[in-house]
Amino acid sequence: MRALSGKIKAGILGGAVALSGLSATATAQADGMDYETVTDLLHLVMSSDRTVYTRMIVNRLSVDEKVITASEHFIDDKALVLPAQMFRFGAEMVAEETDEFSYSLLSLWPINKQNAPTTPLETEGLEYIAENPGENFYGEEELGGTTYFTAVYPDIAVAEACYVCHNEHKDSPRTDFEGGDVMGGVVIRIPMDG
Amino acid sequence: MRNRLLWILWIAATLALAGVAFARLYVGGDRSAFLPGETAGVHHQIELACETCHTSKPFASQAKIRKDINKTCVSCHKEELKTANDSHPIKKFKNPRMAAYWDKVDARFCTSCHLEHQPELAAPGLVTLPGDFCVACHSTGDQDVRKNRPTHADLTFDTCASSGCHNYHDNRALYEDFLIKHADQPWLADTPVHGPGVLARARPRPDADEITAYLAQIPAQIPAGLVTLDRDPDIDAHWAASAHAAADVGCADCHAPKSDTPEQIEANWVAAPAEKVCASCHKSQAKTFALGRHGMRRHPELAKPRKAKKMLKRLGIEAPSDSLIALTESFLADATPPGQMSTSDARVDLHDDLPAHDLTCSTCHDPHEQDLAKAAVDACLSCHADEHSQSYLDSPHHALWQAELAGDLPPGSGVTCATCHMPQSEKRGEVTTSHNQSDTLRPNEKMIRPTCLSCHSLAFSIDALADPALVQSNFQGQPHRHVDSIDWATSRVDQPEKGANQ
Repeated sequence: MRALSGKIKAGILGGAVALSGLSATATAQADGMDYETVTDLLHLVMSSDRTVYTRMIVNRLSVDEKVITASEHFIDDKALVLPAQMFRFGAEMVAEETDEFSYSLLSLWPINKQNAPTTPLETEGLEYIAENPGENFYGEEELGGTTYFTAVYPDIAVAEACYVCHNEHKDSPRTDFEGGDVMGGVVIRIPMDG
Repeated sequence: MRNRLLWILWIAATLALAGVAFARLYVGGDRSAFLPGETAGVHHQIELACETCHTSKPFASQAKIRKDINKTCVSCHKEELKTANDSHPIKKFKNPRMAAYWDKVDARFCTSCHLEHQPELAAPGLVTLPGDFCVACHSTGDQDVRKNRPTHADLTFDTCASSGCHNYHDNRALYEDFLIKHADQPWLADTPVHGPGVLARARPRPDADEITAYLAQIPAQIPAGLVTLDRDPDIDAHWAASAHAAADVGCADCHAPKSDTPEQIEANWVAAPAEKVCASCHKSQAKTFALGRHGMRRHPELAKPRKAKKMLKRLGIEAPSDSLIALTESFLADATPPGQMSTSDARVDLHDDLPAHDLTCSTCHDPHEQDLAKAAVDACLSCHADEHSQSYLDSPHHALWQAELAGDLPPGSGVTCATCHMPQSEKRGEVTTSHNQSDTLRPNEKMIRPTCLSCHSLAFSIDALADPALVQSNFQGQPHRHVDSIDWATSRVDQPEKGANQ
């Protein structure tokens, strides 16, 4: 518990530090938390759940104990949902409920091409987190007539299952991932208008 | 003076005419004059129940209307999209990162591709975009399929969805790893039977002696006061041989539901029970029937006919008198479609001499006799006169059905109209027949998994369904087309037997 609250504080602190270098609009939230703190906290929940699922379910059962495989076609193959799908299904469920924020898991080396960057800021953010391990990326962009606060967080290979599958998959554009590598990024957006 | 009178007359006549039009729109009466254009496919059955699809308040914004129409589309098509494991679900396109695609094909809205009341644009499946619509998103950057798939380098985008390779929504039988997993199979299985059909048809029909013995030992079914009913002598025997008798469903259970004593049965007896009696037990059949073309006028989400009293209240008349209601009803009887489809409304090829009749349970099912041959073939062919339907009698599938009926082949070997168009499924030992006859119809690749693969290879199924002439002749012969999808998919892997993503 103490460790967790420490992490949250660190997240907020990290956000506050990073904010100082950003545009004023990102901080102009007098009534509540600034955008960066919100996306930092959201990301903390997302990445924790994602790491737990990857390590304690997929890696344990499919790599260590070999009792069940994980497959993109989990229904047909009677297999575990892939960690990336687990994340996407959650994001899509959120998209059905609210427009207040949205998130996605992207990569410069996506197996599924729909997870390649689609906006210039996504490309910039993914390149930044890949080149600057341990750092996040924050920016603003206009999409479909709305301005968004966009945060990009590194997505790390936390278990053998991550990099082994990505290195061996026939559709993977990159096959030299190792444990601890930045394999992609979590992009969180909050609309800033109204 | 004369001019003024003419002006007054003209204004009065205009107002009166506008009033009549307004009453038709908002109170009741035949609104077909307001239809902006013919509806596509089978939507004509519900096109006069305008509020089924048009739920937005007057003067709502375009964005709100598009969202509202999405909701009404899925009120009927939700199950279908869920079962299809929709490849392009709306939720996938709501993320603002897809904004660049919204300008190309806005996949957040059903109406971007399926525009109703535009008969001159509508292709099968109510697709109102040109056939090469995939080009909008899959021809540039990371999404360029010609770059990702060398086999696709020289293809044109009008062939993606028309060649038997891809569908926009339903790719359950067409996705790459499925193709790989089902490569190299013989065109016909060693024991070609349809699994649930084996279970459903395994119950032997009792012979005459068994029926007589059974009828002799059960208590009288009809109360003494009703023995004078004009009865078909075969009814008892038909019923005794049916699953109803096996499940202890007797005469009174349908003809006098919720009646226990002979007196109650006599008092509540109905000679011809309505279909809601069937539906009280056969819930899943009733539910799926209302999702298909034959039964869609029963769908629970359809707008109900407009009641005069309610509409008058909506116009501000709080307590309309009975005479006003009667007057309104006499002039503005609502033409909202009745709850059943009549063969006279059909826009598909039916027999010319077919008398008009409504479709109910008993159209295909004799209420007393369990006659699979009637329900699964004869009833269909008694109405449908198109080439595919009528060719069935000369097809190899029909020959198998005849052989099964004759006892020459095991249960589940015969292929009837219902085998393909009303697939059966098994759950915990119970077999259910889908009564949504449109579910596997279009695009026809939807039929592959629930039906074709029981007996045929994936390659044969894809080729056969992509050959229109073979479909017309009801599969008499081998496909004259070959779809390359399996060959191309296996060319991308070293070991075809090993699925990807493992």
